[in-house]
Amino acid sequence: MRLKEKFNQLKKKGKKAFIAYIPFGFPDIKSTKGICLALQEAGADIIEVGIPFSDPLADGPIIQQATTVALNKGATISMIFEAMEKLKKSLKIPVMLMSYYNPILQFGRERFFGRMKKAGIGAVTIVDLPVEESLEYKKTAEKFDIDTIFFVTPVTPSKRISKIAKASRGFIYYVSVTGITGPRDFNYSSLKKHIDILKKKTSLPVCVGFGIHTKKQVKVISSFSDGVIVGSEIVSFIAANHSKNDFLKKLKKQILSLKGDG
Amino acid sequence: MKLPDNRGYFGEFGGKFVPETISYCLEEVERVYHKQKKSKVFKKELDFYLKEYAGRPTLLYYAENLSKYLGMKVYLKREDLLHTGAHKINNALGQGLLAKAMGKKRIIAETGAGQHGVAVATVCSLLGFKCDIFMGQEDIERQSMNVFRMKVLGAKVIPVTTGSCTLKDACNEAFRDWVTNVSDTHYLLGSCLGPHPYPLIVRDFQSVIGKEARVQILKKERRLPDYLVACVGGGSNAIGLFYPFYKDKKVKLIGVEAAGFGLQSYNAATLVKGKIGVFQGTMSYVLQDSQGQIKNAHSIAPGLDYPGVGPEHSFYKDTKRAVYGTVTDKEAIEGFKMLSELEGIIPALESSHAIAYLRKLSKKAKNRLVLVCLSGRGDKDLDIVRQAQISADTKKRR
Repeated sequence: MRLKEKFNQLKKKGKKAFIAYIPFGFPDIKSTKGICLALQEAGADIIEVGIPFSDPLADGPIIQQATTVALNKGATISMIFEAMEKLKKSLKIPVMLMSYYNPILQFGRERFFGRMKKAGIGAVTIVDLPVEESLEYKKTAEKFDIDTIFFVTPVTPSKRISKIAKASRGFIYYVSVTGITGPRDFNYSSLKKHIDILKKKTSLPVCVGFGIHTKKQVKVISSFSDGVIVGSEIVSFIAANHSKNDFLKKLKKQILSLKGDG
Repeated sequence: MKLPDNRGYFGEFGGKFVPETISYCLEEVERVYHKQKKSKVFKKELDFYLKEYAGRPTLLYYAENLSKYLGMKVYLKREDLLHTGAHKINNALGQGLLAKAMGKKRIIAETGAGQHGVAVATVCSLLGFKCDIFMGQEDIERQSMNVFRMKVLGAKVIPVTTGSCTLKDACNEAFRDWVTNVSDTHYLLGSCLGPHPYPLIVRDFQSVIGKEARVQILKKERRLPDYLVACVGGGSNAIGLFYPFYKDKKVKLIGVEAAGFGLQSYNAATLVKGKIGVFQGTMSYVLQDSQGQIKNAHSIAPGLDYPGVGPEHSFYKDTKRAVYGTVTDKEAIEGFKMLSELEGIIPALESSHAIAYLRKLSKKAKNRLVLVCLSGRGDKDLDIVRQAQISADTKKRR
């Protein structure tokens, strides 16, 4: 399923998107498939799969440690595509990729988007590729009909927001804080103000990520945006529980609880 | 052609490959830098500190004994005589004044060996900034004296325990701190690396090396040198020397990278052995594996121990304006001893790479005029060299 379809579906039901982030290959290569299916069963609307990178500049310690583990287990881009191709039939919800630029550059842009299409992955966001540097990348993505998601932050000037909105497809990723990934507290009214301004400049859905880690935050932030992305909280849950009995059952319960359905 | 262009590109190299929040941080630095660059007050203040505080201009010394020994005419640009013992202070003073103009209260920096950290801590003490230095846990253990120096100067040294616990991870951590605290903090990056405008700013502040050297050599020899030689880690002392000679096409530029244990083993020869990629904000040559993951570098010279290189050097390499050679750990130590014994000057292990390369150059450049950047002094490295000596002696005895 594509993002557009998903957001239309949610809109009809009057619901907001719950986007679950997991780094591929954590806690090991084999586990990603099971985790994805568990996330779907628990009612995640979109799964964002992170491509591990040795130097994740925008990530806090939780995701840094997880990607280090994944790399030590030998995770590669090809393995992600292999896993996702196998999951293509059973995953009914949209999958998107998150990466830093260099692994994609070395894999080859054409080859990367071609493999995405084959694996049924419709969208990608690249943390360290600001809109100014993205011309070639956008062109190739369009050729393969892949959605490119760009970031807006609390300090992005108004003129730049318009540029970013124009380059984005699928949704706009609003970074909730000036900082890195990892649990935070929020000033909801200031966050809402920023989202309202952004929503005036785009017809795309606006989803909020970075720092969101409690049920209450999910509920409040969803109320004035089109969805939330939860990363570090899920990753630290996986880190703490993956070796326990009934891990996937526990994970499902945790997601349901974060979503406010549990 | 303007180098870099308005987007921060040197040909295909450079740019700003950073998370969206850092784009904002960079725009502020760029705006203020372009304004200050034109300001007479800023220039006057920087010139004052460079002269009265750091000790510029540095000497251009004719190394007669070394020249005789090698059969070439060798001049040394004595950056090792600067306050804090290396060229790093040129950039630290420049960016320190820039941070003042931006109204920042706090400066952060990354450091590998501690030389840049010491220069930054010094400038923060001079100009009254709060100072936090990020340093890999492994480097903290290797360079305890420099850690103490920074503390004496009033800086806080923050250990970095992520990734490989070395310079590149300290750099990541400084960026992470910067995006979180940008309103009151300036990130004082130490080499001609990272996203635009850093490669431009650091080159400009280090160009004082080449500008002085050009005037000095013309005065002494009434001609330009045949060769310029400088070591390249990130490449700031080299670009500072090379850039003012860029248009003098007859002057051959040679950058010397660290071959570490050898080019087939662990090394830091990014331009010679790396592939083009995006790392820490810039498109340049990078030591990386087939998956685009960044490799750990190795050099006996802590200041060269980095898997990336400034984008302007990548441009010089691909346009053939400069050539880049390599020197192993072992050869660097020979260079270290050669200069100490012949001239009574103990060079930093980084600069020893440039010195050691002269032996190779002397085979094809008999009687030529060579100008070398002696980027730092070697006191900081005495322990490393002594350890290397001990392990070499033990091997011999076996």
